[in-house]
Amino acid sequence: MSRRILRTGVAVFCALAFLLPLWWVTISAIRPEASIFAHLSPPGRWTLWPREPTLVHVLELWQGPFARAIFNTVYITAVTVVAGLVISAMAGFALSVIRFRGREAVFVVMVISFLIPFDAIALPLFGIMRDLRLQNTYTGLILPGIGNGLAVFLFRQFFLGIPKDLREAAQIDGMGWFGIFWRIYLPLSRPAIISAGLILFVFQWQAYLWPLIIAPDPDYKVAAVAIAQFSDFYGVRYGLIFAAAFFISLIPMVVLTAFQRYFSTSVASSGGKG
Amino acid sequence: MSGYNLGTRSITTIAVSVLIGMAGAAGSASAATTTVNFISAQNDDVFEPVIAAFEAANPDIDVVHQTVPFDDLNTAVETRIGAGDGSIDVYAADTPRIPAFAAKGYLENLDDARARIETVADNAVEVDLVSHDGSIWAYPMWTSTQLFYFNRDLLEQAGIDAPGGTPEERLSWETVVENAAKAQQGGATWGLMFQQVDRYYQLQPLFESAGAGSGLVGDDLLTPELTGDAWVRTAQWYADLHEDGIAPRGISPSQTDDLFAQGEVAYFVGGPWAIGRFNGIEDLNYGVAPHPYFADGEPVSPTGAWALGINPSADNKEAARRFVEFATLTREGAFLTTKNFPLPPVNQEAFADYSEAIAAFTPTIGPAIDIMSHEIARTAVARPRTTGFVAYETEMNRIFSDIRNGADVTESLEQAQARLARMLPRQR
Amino acid sequence: MMLHRTTLVAVAFLLPALVAVAVLRLWPAAVAVSLSLDAPGVDGPSLENYRYIFGDPLFLKSLTVTAAYSLIVNPLQIAIALLLALLMNAAIPLIGLWRTLILLPVAIPQSVSAVVWGVGLRPDGPINGVLNTFGFETQRFLTSPDQALASIILIVSWIGVGYWMTFLLAGLQEIPKALYEAIRIDGANRWQAFRFVTLPQLRRTLTFVLVANTVANFLIFAPVQILTQGGPQGSTNLIMNEIYTRAFVSGDPSSAAAATVVLVILVLSVVILQFSLMRAPEDNLA
Repeated sequence: MSRRILRTGVAVFCALAFLLPLWWVTISAIRPEASIFAHLSPPGRWTLWPREPTLVHVLELWQGPFARAIFNTVYITAVTVVAGLVISAMAGFALSVIRFRGREAVFVVMVISFLIPFDAIALPLFGIMRDLRLQNTYTGLILPGIGNGLAVFLFRQFFLGIPKDLREAAQIDGMGWFGIFWRIYLPLSRPAIISAGLILFVFQWQAYLWPLIIAPDPDYKVAAVAIAQFSDFYGVRYGLIFAAAFFISLIPMVVLTAFQRYFSTSVASSGGKG
Repeated sequence: MSGYNLGTRSITTIAVSVLIGMAGAAGSASAATTTVNFISAQNDDVFEPVIAAFEAANPDIDVVHQTVPFDDLNTAVETRIGAGDGSIDVYAADTPRIPAFAAKGYLENLDDARARIETVADNAVEVDLVSHDGSIWAYPMWTSTQLFYFNRDLLEQAGIDAPGGTPEERLSWETVVENAAKAQQGGATWGLMFQQVDRYYQLQPLFESAGAGSGLVGDDLLTPELTGDAWVRTAQWYADLHEDGIAPRGISPSQTDDLFAQGEVAYFVGGPWAIGRFNGIEDLNYGVAPHPYFADGEPVSPTGAWALGINPSADNKEAARRFVEFATLTREGAFLTTKNFPLPPVNQEAFADYSEAIAAFTPTIGPAIDIMSHEIARTAVARPRTTGFVAYETEMNRIFSDIRNGADVTESLEQAQARLARMLPRQR
Repeated sequence: MMLHRTTLVAVAFLLPALVAVAVLRLWPAAVAVSLSLDAPGVDGPSLENYRYIFGDPLFLKSLTVTAAYSLIVNPLQIAIALLLALLMNAAIPLIGLWRTLILLPVAIPQSVSAVVWGVGLRPDGPINGVLNTFGFETQRFLTSPDQALASIILIVSWIGVGYWMTFLLAGLQEIPKALYEAIRIDGANRWQAFRFVTLPQLRRTLTFVLVANTVANFLIFAPVQILTQGGPQGSTNLIMNEIYTRAFVSGDPSSAAAATVVLVILVLSVVILQFSLMRAPEDNLA
């Protein structure tokens, strides 16, 4: 019993330790600019609680170009996740269920190609996209996110574990490959969909270098880039930065909390168990 | 056998295509007027007056200004202009970068406007600053100089006399450092600070004043020379300032104005544009004096500022040129660019108006305009004009940053020299 | 006839992914290689760019910094993630909440975390505030050549450890309880249970996490570009920052392309090495 208490204590402590920087960000966002750094050293009762809360930064933030930046980020992430799931699930299906000659070779080539780290080829890719006039477009922002080798790998792994009797029965009934995919495999794949969705979501939400170079136009700027540029000629606007950080974190916070109990499928698992 | 369920499949395919199509189409907008896109490192409010005036006189042109942080501007030019991106029409080009940009084809040739530019600038040095290889590549807009700001209260507190405002009363760096240390003992957090820390623009005058030169020699100015005695000595002086705690480490250029404005710094070397900011602070009691110099050297001040260049691939070149010519070649336009950002315009007629405006501050802060005119005419040394400037500046800024943080001076300069010797020929 | 049609169907399913691979990976990689062979001032393809970067002390330093960073950060993060996963693999009240809090930092854009930690590590920031309270001197962190890389490691770990913990946790939860019961009956203690049940059962998940984490750490860019720009004295000049500076700040894209090719070869080699080391004899990738 005491071990359980100890374990709970340590777990809670770790969780709070990870939360602390975000907490500080949140309360700094509602502090007047001058007092953001006033209560830090030495830490006292006002270090972690605002003395004079104010919404002035929040208001200024939403009246500026940040609203557009958040919209951009949400929009491209949503499209990336949906399109990415479709593409990876289809590819994973073909690589695990459909038997064709050269299947293993295609799998190996695909995995190795996707291991070419994206940020490393971002610069030549930028040149290609620019020739296709895709800079400062949503397409340019979204495209790199939808091809994700990890997601393909995950789906393939998962589908391999779904018993083939289901498929064979359906084929005897005259169902085609697409029907098998759509009606049999996908409905069983919720854990894989959610895990792959998480991977796609994180990739696009975290993206920085690519949006920085492909979409610097304020209309297309994403939140991650906008916040790094919140210093104007008159100085760094910390209140705005922290307010922006809070809102940029809010959406994934909600998403993660809603889906966290589904993150129980390991990458080594197969659909057989779930 | 082949029972594809066409319904579901088509819907899915269509849905996906629509999503991706929407992604592409969502950003497009059609405009009834011509839009000129203009990027610079300044805040929107700097160009607001001139844009408003221009749009009032030209209702069919809409000028949209975008701020790109100074440190990201090179990247922006490289990735957007360099990529043939037509969506930027006008951009502010720092004059020393013009040879590099012109050589790479990032600027529209403006020789057809030469006569008008030369008349308006009336200053061979300023015309030279926007030229390369015999042609003109940008419209000169501003020039710059530096003022030596001081906090009257902090100096008084420490019993130090305020520096005088005439060139004859110019202080030597040696005196300044001595006073700065005294001011700190008297209660100032920092004794001395440079506005654009670790930037070549700000520090070049130190080396020039000490007789060390700009660091580049040879035809085309593509040979680095950084390891001579004067370079090492001066760099060591800069390092010691921070090592001894007279100037702060870890502060970036975007934070320096704040520190002076908050009354924490006794002496501050900065541009005249800061006057606009500092005048707005209520309990900041400050004055200006001429830029210090090394006692056994010459007084030197930095100069050169932003010019406006046209993107050769611009979508709306014609309208862009109309805007830029308004903002640089007309008296009204050129003066309006300095209204919220008090930098001396190159346009001589506008400069007269500008002088009048700045002269109004003399009673409170000292003879700012007289100091500025003197410096521009007598002590200004421009940054080296070479195609290798961007690469050179990037490397030097990095070295200055290391030196400020405590790296060994001789070693750093030797490393920089070795690197630049290999780097610069690639920029030819 | 049947085979042919099946292949066509497979191609239809694979087409978008194959196009993505070709356009988003293979084509740019080819462009990078071709650009890297085109040196300024030299006609025709040459290895001049490679000679140039391998003779450049800053680039070489970037390689050693990246290697040192990689050797420290990967085992460190995986060890912490594993410990956290073991800790969180229990039915504690509100366990979902605690797990989410640890995972949360990964959902925040790296640039935001970098800016926030940059402020936090300032001389007048909260970290130094706490240190001062306990009697320690103010540390320089990001402006010290000895502490800057460690600071970056701290920031990157705070961001990513929860993400890897989540995968490891899922792997842990799939280990059949029966295996633990069996080994307990044989008289094994907790450490032996960990060594002989947990670790082997976790091997595939661990491989995945190790490979993915290694790749991710080779690409770290945002915190460096925002906070230190590779300094002080090149101590945080991880290779992506080096490539970016060459390409976009100094205006030398062909040497940046050569550095990119070096990075890609490096990553692929390390990953292939990791895969083969982590493979068990009975493993079949199909």
